[in-house]
Amino acid sequence: MNYLENFGQYCLLMFRAFRQPGRNRFFREQLVREIDSLGVGSVGIIAIISLFMGAVIAIQMAANIESPLIPMYTVGYATRESVILEFSSTVIALILAGKVGSNIASEIGTMRVSEQIDALEIMGVNSAGYLILPKITAALLIIPILTLMSMFLGVWGGFFACTLTGLLDSPTYIQGITLDFRPYHLVYSLIKSLVFAFIITSVASFRGYYVRGGSREVGQTSTRAVVNASISILLWNLILTRLLLL
Amino acid sequence: MIEIKHLSKSFGENQVLHQIDAAFEEGKTNLIIGQSGSGKTVLMKCVVGLFEPTEGDVLYSGRSFTQASFNEKRNIRKEIGMVFQGGALFDSMTVEENVAFPLRMFTKESRSEVMDRADLCLKRVNLPKAHKLFPSEISGGMKKRVAIARAIALNPKYLFFDEPNSGLDPRTSILIDNLIQEITQEYQTVTVINTHDMNSVMEIGDKIFYIHKGHKHWQGDRVGIWESPNKELTDFVFATRLMRDIRSKNFKL
Repeated sequence: MNYLENFGQYCLLMFRAFRQPGRNRFFREQLVREIDSLGVGSVGIIAIISLFMGAVIAIQMAANIESPLIPMYTVGYATRESVILEFSSTVIALILAGKVGSNIASEIGTMRVSEQIDALEIMGVNSAGYLILPKITAALLIIPILTLMSMFLGVWGGFFACTLTGLLDSPTYIQGITLDFRPYHLVYSLIKSLVFAFIITSVASFRGYYVRGGSREVGQTSTRAVVNASISILLWNLILTRLLLL
Repeated sequence: MIEIKHLSKSFGENQVLHQIDAAFEEGKTNLIIGQSGSGKTVLMKCVVGLFEPTEGDVLYSGRSFTQASFNEKRNIRKEIGMVFQGGALFDSMTVEENVAFPLRMFTKESRSEVMDRADLCLKRVNLPKAHKLFPSEISGGMKKRVAIARAIALNPKYLFFDEPNSGLDPRTSILIDNLIQEITQEYQTVTVINTHDMNSVMEIGDKIFYIHKGHKHWQGDRVGIWESPNKELTDFVFATRLMRDIRSKNFKL
């Protein structure tokens, strides 16, 4: 019952957020700020994680290929497929759920407990539209770009790991990453990243918007937002994979 | 004028307000007083629309607020200015940006016109040199004044103050009280103040509503308080020895 109530409240909040976004100039200003804070602020961590994860995937692939019947270029092929299909969309989304989700929930939650949201409402501002819509839009714009960047860096992380440690020569790895490339896999991954972007920002905003209490509750809400967003991402990952790949 | 008609509010089984009737007049400071937990903050939040009343109506110059559509409510809210207990300033904006916010949101004025108006409002509340500071860098009294400047930026018809003197020293409290009274007379606003500060009651209480356990127990002015036979009211107002002494010496306002 509580779950249904929460879901209903979440749907109503999203309806309010998309209903009247407020003045264009405010929306533009907020959007640029959110792109900077949610996207540009996450480039560093995503670059580092993608490079290292790509490298680890490639080394693990190389280490597990023992049969001489399996060509070594499979390392590049498998690294590319793992990075594009799963790692860059899902794992990056889970990392962003932690970083961006907690940030959004605590920002909006603090505004709620310090009556800043009430002040917006009293002024006649649609607080949901003013606070939440720019965050969702910014995430929808920037997270697919971050996902593409992560794919690129993950694949090259594998390349550097293989070539620098002597596991594989560069022509063999490149042969693997160019083998049987299906652009649809890229589309599938980008669709997932769009859905995950919406989940991360909307769930965190919802949790922050309805927080009650003080700083302790804001902290707890921030954790709950990350947990809820992560579980939703895993669930939708399964649903989308079933719908889009089979 | 703001009229409250038979307003009740319950949270689940707990009824906080019982059939409140009141009328707040223009150009006067209307005070809602009562003990902590008496329901005065809930009453104010029902009047400004932050809580939905369980029963009854609130009329802003004859316009029903509780039955208004989303857009009608939005239009009424543009005529409302409210100063929250903690100020509720936007902490990521400077003082100047806080005051300019409603102007930028609801007017089509140019940036320079908006900033001129914000500057005027800040000067009106005697804060001519705090424009570029953030709320975290100013004192409690200054925060209240910035909140007042933001509340009057759009020339509101209705002004609400929730505990405007809480956390302030007596001298700053008097300055804030005087400022509220001056603004009320200058802009001819319907000013509603939620307080339990007896200095404010005696200084600026043109019209006073005493709320006790969710009921309106008494209504009158600051002169009437001295002569009221209402036991709950006198117990509340003359709770301190100083107030009792003043009263026993038959002090007249």
